[in-house]
Amino acid sequence: MALANGTDFALLNGPQLVENGPRLTPAPTIDAAAPLARHAAPDHRQALAFRHVSKHFFRDDGSSLEVLRDVSFDVPAGSVVSILGPSGSGKSTLLNMAAGLLAPDQGKVLVLGHETTGAVDWSRLGYMFQDDRLLPWRQALGNVALALEAGSVSRQERRERAQAQLAVVGLGDFGSAYPHQLSGGMRSRVALARSLVTEPDILLMDEPFSRLDAQTRTSMHNELLRIHRERGMSIVFVTHDVEEAVILADHIVMLSPRPGRVHTEIDVTLPHPRLGTPDAQALVAELRAAIAGMSADWVI
Amino acid sequence: MRAPTDKPIKTGTGSATIAFRRTALLILLIAVWWAASLATPVYVLPSPARVMNRLIMLAQNGDLFTNLFTTLWRVLAGFALAVLIGVPGGILLGSNRALGTFFEPVLPVMNTVSSAIWAIFAIIWFGLSPLTPIFVVLMTALPLIITNVWQGTQAVNADFVELAQTLRFSRLKTLLKIYVPSILPYFFSGARLAFGFGWRVSLVAETLGASSGVGYRLRQASDLIQTDQVFAWTIAQIAMMVVIEIGLLAPLERHLFRWRRDVRT
Repeated sequence: MALANGTDFALLNGPQLVENGPRLTPAPTIDAAAPLARHAAPDHRQALAFRHVSKHFFRDDGSSLEVLRDVSFDVPAGSVVSILGPSGSGKSTLLNMAAGLLAPDQGKVLVLGHETTGAVDWSRLGYMFQDDRLLPWRQALGNVALALEAGSVSRQERRERAQAQLAVVGLGDFGSAYPHQLSGGMRSRVALARSLVTEPDILLMDEPFSRLDAQTRTSMHNELLRIHRERGMSIVFVTHDVEEAVILADHIVMLSPRPGRVHTEIDVTLPHPRLGTPDAQALVAELRAAIAGMSADWVI
Repeated sequence: MRAPTDKPIKTGTGSATIAFRRTALLILLIAVWWAASLATPVYVLPSPARVMNRLIMLAQNGDLFTNLFTTLWRVLAGFALAVLIGVPGGILLGSNRALGTFFEPVLPVMNTVSSAIWAIFAIIWFGLSPLTPIFVVLMTALPLIITNVWQGTQAVNADFVELAQTLRFSRLKTLLKIYVPSILPYFFSGARLAFGFGWRVSLVAETLGASSGVGYRLRQASDLIQTDQVFAWTIAQIAMMVVIEIGLLAPLERHLFRWRRDVRT
């Protein structure tokens, strides 16, 4: 599928930055050009591509709310891309568009080369929500197997695959536990297993660990990175937490406050694990400084 | 009658203490009854022993179980009709806002109508037939079931519906895997309430408009001033409800909703 891959990201985003300039108080300090040029290798197959996407919603009183304005970026196959932005910057809206739950007003979203308004094999996408969204009346195994119930997978195979997936996230012995019997971290693991059991090529994650305590969140990060190393799927990870983005992502797309625009894109080439390393801390500090200039109310 | 099953099931001191307390209460009541019966004529308050003898007699000649099951069958028939109409009705009203708003006032009005009034209508329409108590049970149970199922549809978590969307579930699969399990607890509590109400109003209906059943036998005994028989039938119908409640409904509820966190303990 010939996407607009040849487009240099620096070119794509450069004018945008200028255009958005007046709204952003002190200019960002990040030199994004160099890593971006490296990232925009033309032969990259894109798992996801956002092309000039705009979206607005209607409020209850009928007035219009602009959520996204001319957003363009790519998710190269096999990479971890973090969409970083303050609340209200349209992060989740982007994810919902990628999942085909919302259509853009303008522009288009391509999933594995196909427009989301057309024929997309949705079974190749996994989705993990901000909350674990486990059905309380189903045991852990049944909750994981749920993701396989849309298709025609036999009951026996569903159970086997769900069990195997639970084992992958370290809950092989908890298949018969009900959600209320599990801790927050375990529930999160079950939700992760549910989004992985279909063996998706693209995993969409909407602040999935934001409700966990720091320690549990770190273990979930390690778990996710391990599974990513093993399976090599593409991950789009939405977060408002700078450190989380730095720890996980190969590539960070930073959105401005509403209406969300691509503010900065940077590649993160630091080796894993990154938590607590000086390089990662420096990058976090740098990004935070950029944010401080952009949005006063971005809770870090 | 729900009291025994509403008690915590898993408390440390356990069911032995509860059983002991219940037995003590029963013995106390019977003792008071017995003491009171000593000072009153038989047709006002027969002694426990006399009522017990009458109960045994009724059981031996088959009268007891025939009538209990006649009444039970009618309650179940009316109840089943109420479920058949009420479940789709509740889902329909819950899924269509305009329809729901339009029909909303009907339910409280139906609830206000006394079972005696339903019985009188039923006698006018169906005469002295099994249809009369069935109709009364139906009209009593229906608003309860509709209301609860309706409430259940409102309580379906929109997040779970969104989850079903991301999983690309068909409408039917979303209904079966998300809506039905979400509504089930509401349906069950409505159905349980409706069954209890149905049992009580069926007796009213039978005293007014039937020629068999526990209600009919109660009125007959009362007309003939066979007070011991009135007591015997009363005890028999209470016992039957307790057996259904403890032996069937409570375990069924525990099984169906075993996934729930036990908030009572």
